[in-house]
Amino acid sequence: MNEQLRPLSLLCELTYRCNLQCPYCYNPLDLRAYRDELTTGQWRSVLQAAADLGVVQAHFSGGEPTLRSDLVPLVEAAAACGLYTNLITQGTFLDDELLDRLVDGGLNHVQISIQAPQAALADRIAGAIVHDKKADALRRVLTREVALTLNCVLHRLNHDSIEEVIDYAQRLGIRRLELANVQFYGWAYRNRVALMPTLEQVRHGEDVVAAARERLHGSMEIVYVLPDYFGDFPKPCMNGWGRQFITVTPNGYALPCPAAAGITTLAFENVRDRALGDIWRDSASFVRYRGTDWMPEPCRSCERRELDWGGCRCQAYLITGDPGVTDPACSLSPDHASIASLREETSGAEPVYRRA
Amino acid sequence: MKPTACPRFGKGVKLRHDGNGSVMLLIPEGALVLNAPAAAALELVDGTRPLVEIVAAVAARFDVTADRAGEDLSELFERLEQRGLLQ
Ligand SMILES: C[S@@+](CC[C@H](N)C(=O)[O-])C[C@H]1O[C@@H](n2cnc3c(N)ncnc32)[C@H](O)[C@@H]1O
Ligand code: SF4
Ligand code: SF4
Repeated sequence: MNEQLRPLSLLCELTYRCNLQCPYCYNPLDLRAYRDELTTGQWRSVLQAAADLGVVQAHFSGGEPTLRSDLVPLVEAAAACGLYTNLITQGTFLDDELLDRLVDGGLNHVQISIQAPQAALADRIAGAIVHDKKADALRRVLTREVALTLNCVLHRLNHDSIEEVIDYAQRLGIRRLELANVQFYGWAYRNRVALMPTLEQVRHGEDVVAAARERLHGSMEIVYVLPDYFGDFPKPCMNGWGRQFITVTPNGYALPCPAAAGITTLAFENVRDRALGDIWRDSASFVRYRGTDWMPEPCRSCERRELDWGGCRCQAYLITGDPGVTDPACSLSPDHASIASLREETSGAEPVYRRA
Repeated sequence: MKPTACPRFGKGVKLRHDGNGSVMLLIPEGALVLNAPAAAALELVDGTRPLVEIVAAVAARFDVTADRAGEDLSELFERLEQRGLLQ
């Protein structure tokens, strides 16, 4: 393999436990299989190993990472390794005390998600009465020396409120807003029929974002994550399999992508059994789809192969059963018709809430 | 950004030096790899030093005219300011 390859980013999924039940959650369906969580000491070793590999950023996510009582020491450990630290949370436990300890511990960035801009809809999606608490958490973070991003996952149930999400962010004084169209993995894949936005919603969303970017230029940065099933080309998933990102699951499996555990044809390895550096360099699970050698046609001879790396392996697997084919989201894929039928399958089905 | 303005980093923005001499700007959700003049300029950002002084120092160090360095750096600083990475 290419000796230069160096991971830049480590996603620490500290736990899959969560007090909310978002039907759009990309966490895996078999949440209970992840209850044997890594210890504080094991996470520290993972952070050090990642820093030694050249990783520059550690993201703490889950599940809800603030449910781990050792979150503060882990942020401190990451900062001590020289890593940039990012907390990805829904904010319901982010009180003054925890926030102060995190910032004192060296936290650089917090991302807080809301389910919708209106309390009633947000609480219905979250499956809990939490929306107002999140606004408090957002205000609290704004007063601290730490960067803040507001995230809202968009899907059919809240897409029509996209403009209100931007207004909500503006009222609070948010500088960075991430509007992420739902990606269909885990619970979201299970709920895809209920969550699939309509073409109208997607087009309207694009117009709203374009106008808001112009209006708010210089005061708010809007990151818009494009919807999975609506483009001509796939997303450059993880910037290529095993090229820049490592995810470690709550129970210690190292994955090239947070959704990869769903691919049952690959044997993933655990940091309890093998050093992270060895897994990154040599594990068949990381090497299998790294670079371009694995590619079948039409990717193999395609000009875009080093732009999108053939798209997403997890999506290829979910939709075709084979993780080694061109992402069906690509219009050049022989399986692209199945994307169109998934996109059009939008009955009024009720989503099921995430549960363990 | 005015030449007399004294830029400072926005929240959650960090310069990082790697062993091999490369410098990155770490920002929420990403990292920007900096070329040598950009890195030299951002190393001088401390909230008290005006942009003109930063430009002059970089021009001297890389042996280019202050005009040339000023043009390149203004553009960089402008871009970073718009994204809230510099204030
Ligand atoms: C799985 S969550 C874990 C952190 C925390 N529980 C939260 O929800 O904010 C990580 C991030 O991914 C977002 N997210 C969850 N499911 C998603 C999906 N299917 N597609 C895109 N983003 C998703 C969340 O809004 C959050 O910003
Ligand atoms: S997306 Fe929702 S359910 Fe999933 S971990 Fe975050 S808050 Fe919990
Ligand atoms: S054929 Fe493969 S490389 Fe070409 S655009 Fe489609 S997914 Fe990307």
